Amino acid sequence: MEKKKVRVTFQPSGKTVKVDKDTTLLEAGAQAGVYISSICGGDGICGKCRLIIKKGNIKANPTTLLSREEIRKGYVLACQTTAEGDLEVEVPAESRAEKEKILVDKDAQRFRALYPQAEEKTFFKYDPLVQKLYLELPKTTLQDNLADHLRLYREIRRKRKIPIMQSGLKVLRILPKILRESKGKVTATIGIRGKTTEVIQIEEGDTTKESYGLAVDVGTCTVVVHLVNLNNSQTIDAEATYNSQRVYGEEVTRRIIYAELKGPDKLREAIVNDINNLISTLISRNKIKLNDVMTLVCAGNTTMVHLLLGLDPSQIRREPYIPACTSPPPIRAAEVGIKINPRGLLYTLPSISGWVGGDITAGILATGVNETKSLTMLIDIGTNGEIVLGSKEWMVCCAASAGPAFEGSGVKHGMRAAAGAIEKVEILADGKVKHSTIGGVKPKGICGSGLIDVMAELFKAGFINRSAKLSPEASSRIREKNGELEFILVPASETQIGEAIVLTRADIENLIRAKAAIFAGADILVKSMDLEIKEIEQLYLAGGFGNYLNKEKALVLGLIPDISPDKVQFVGNTSIMGAKMALLSREALERSYEITKKITYYDLITNPGYMDEFISAKFIPHTDLAKFPSLAKKL
Amino acid sequence: MTIPDVKQKWANPINTVTIGAAKEGGGTRTHTISVGGSTTLPFLHFEGEIPHRPVVAMEILDIVPEDWHPLLSKYFSDVWDNPGKWAKKCVEEFGADLICLRLAGCDPDGKNQGPEEAATAVKSVLETTGVPLIIWGCGNDDKDNEVLPKCSEVSAGERCLLGSITEDNYKTLVALCKADGHKLIAESPVDINIAKQVNILATDLGLDAEDIVIYPTSGALGYGIEYVYSIMERGRLAGLSGDKMWAMPILCDIGKEVWKAKEAIVSQNEVPQWGSQEERGPLWEATTAYVYLLAGTDILIMRHPKAVKEVKKYINKLIV
Repeated sequence: MEKKKVRVTFQPSGKTVKVDKDTTLLEAGAQAGVYISSICGGDGICGKCRLIIKKGNIKANPTTLLSREEIRKGYVLACQTTAEGDLEVEVPAESRAEKEKILVDKDAQRFRALYPQAEEKTFFKYDPLVQKLYLELPKTTLQDNLADHLRLYREIRRKRKIPIMQSGLKVLRILPKILRESKGKVTATIGIRGKTTEVIQIEEGDTTKESYGLAVDVGTCTVVVHLVNLNNSQTIDAEATYNSQRVYGEEVTRRIIYAELKGPDKLREAIVNDINNLISTLISRNKIKLNDVMTLVCAGNTTMVHLLLGLDPSQIRREPYIPACTSPPPIRAAEVGIKINPRGLLYTLPSISGWVGGDITAGILATGVNETKSLTMLIDIGTNGEIVLGSKEWMVCCAASAGPAFEGSGVKHGMRAAAGAIEKVEILADGKVKHSTIGGVKPKGICGSGLIDVMAELFKAGFINRSAKLSPEASSRIREKNGELEFILVPASETQIGEAIVLTRADIENLIRAKAAIFAGADILVKSMDLEIKEIEQLYLAGGFGNYLNKEKALVLGLIPDISPDKVQFVGNTSIMGAKMALLSREALERSYEITKKITYYDLITNPGYMDEFISAKFIPHTDLAKFPSLAKKL
Repeated sequence: MTIPDVKQKWANPINTVTIGAAKEGGGTRTHTISVGGSTTLPFLHFEGEIPHRPVVAMEILDIVPEDWHPLLSKYFSDVWDNPGKWAKKCVEEFGADLICLRLAGCDPDGKNQGPEEAATAVKSVLETTGVPLIIWGCGNDDKDNEVLPKCSEVSAGERCLLGSITEDNYKTLVALCKADGHKLIAESPVDINIAKQVNILATDLGLDAEDIVIYPTSGALGYGIEYVYSIMERGRLAGLSGDKMWAMPILCDIGKEVWKAKEAIVSQNEVPQWGSQEERGPLWEATTAYVYLLAGTDILIMRHPKAVKEVKKYINKLIV
């Protein structure tokens, strides 16, 4: 018997979808293309996927995550609710995870500013992974009677030193006709495939002017795509969106579990759709033909790459954490469903281990940790806080499970760096709070840099003590709600969401855990090499924080090791930068493989000292002030 | 060949904490008790100074205990309806160095007595005995913050040891100690870092590090004792090496733990091969105490008179 279908309409977008009667509203939202926040992926434990029922009957599992007042107003949890009949629901602002424009600009400038300081940094030779060559083949004669493909290769070799070449059947089938019709004037597109070079396309005449590639950061939270002109290596445009896989779980582990239970296809389709949507926005905005986009280079953590390629990620989450593949070969992008030139190639940057991915390889490539003589640390503040320490002689890395707090998840009013996110906070001497938001609009939530600011400011103002406990007597902005203390950052009247933006005791606890995990990882890495923090000569701080990160405040909080602020540089999204470097230089891609071979992975999970270091770091700035000499003087 | 000198020189002595105030100190105690001050690990007399011996406090309650074992009630049931008499018996008959008065009667889940009743108990112990006093709340933060101010007030100037502060609740007690001249027990959940963090929070409020005794939480023999041992040992090594936030004397509250342990409270009828319970119970408590003494404990809180006697004998043998 066929199941009864019901119609669900989501407001304010008005999108409607027909689903089976027992489908959860979270799933219905996903099908309708309405993205509803969810951290737990539908287990009913995060309380993020709130909806308001406007019309129609529902069936809902009981939950403790909604207050009585909210239930009276019609709030439900999308993942715990199914429609009994046709339904109209509203997605309130706090649950909306719209496809907003995430900040991507300025990355490039920030990065260019980096290089002069890293003097020994060698630039990679401009040599895109995929490029077009205009060729004029001489006429065939009885003396010059090589086969068509060999004559093509000969001509290519006159321009490029390429020992091994190959071409697919599709190219060979059309080759004789094109060569003759064009009188030998053709454009060959060649692409690197490991040790060989493939002629992936052959066109009549000179089409070299139109040659584009994409750099893609496949993040757990966000996906960023840069469109690059392969002829002059300029970034033409950039676009970003949230990774829509997050409907199936905000954390990496959740998604692996989902892939195990339901197969990896849905997750692959989700990310491929995201990338395709971004590409189509970029090419239509810049009036470029899809066919002229020849390649894309993706950097992402190991699991994201597995899910993009449809590889089985299930062993990554189980001891001893074995990925299916750390360095997938270049493949035809169309094989996974990415819509560029049908014969275009997809490259992924190699990962180091199951928990240190190609995004970190990209970070090393972009910051040149592997090229410098100075002892350098790179901290990528993400769900998995990856840390690299080393120089051109050696490198070690680890992954500290910081949780997504600094990316805005697991924090009541946390959000990503997008319009309406509070990115700067200052608590004035009289206890008043000054803040500024991205885009200068009314605030909607707090993003990572705002969270670092507010924590440091709360501490400096004495509103939280060194163990990060709120002191209700210190400020009238600290109140108790539902039995929990919280700090009112912005009162309800000044926000977009109709309620106050607060930082709760639990939020603060999550943030302190995240910072402790990152610092403990960094500290253990330094100790494991018999070094001291003060020996670190430069520190790069990476992450999708938008345009701003206050390094002094990160230090006050004890998030980063105590070294002089002029040695600390915020470098933004290094994942996309590394991907772009590989896109533009075969040398850079080869270097990324060398990086993964050169680096040693430290497993923190099995490190007996980690828990001690973690608890010790769960204090502001740290239990052991000897580790923060510059702050010890001020405290 | 000369044998090299392997004696270790430590950077930092453990703080000396003096509990109780006699007449000249502004109190009414017949004598004071100092703990700590050592410049070496426990009982290594050849290596450094150990100016003060470990001491034993006997535990009494402000109410008639409901769950104390018959092996204990045998000694105390004639006096335990009166904290003053109970304390006096512990001192005069069983040789307690200090009295630890636990305000179990204030527990909101139990008798829920108020500050007045608690203060009366404190006063009666101070009147009947001359030894220094430890006053320990019921363990409910809100209730302790309500009851202890009164207890602190009526014992002001007696330099009692008040317990206990934790990471989540320390402000009231720190203020009391500063105002009324008491000393403080800083409690942590068997964690070397949190022990430090509690001390930092208290000293950040202006309490002197020399006013603090660390209670790292203690378990009975067979119930995680090795874990506590290693935390205490590491803490003491850190303190001697120069970590000011671990350079405090250590206190272990073992009576209440031991007298929950199966090995102490199961009768011989139930497990004949374990032998006489009369001997086994106190032996379990004394053995637990020996272990903690070796780890560096300065103050033991105990219950059974026989165990107290044996432990004091043992301390006498080890202190030369």
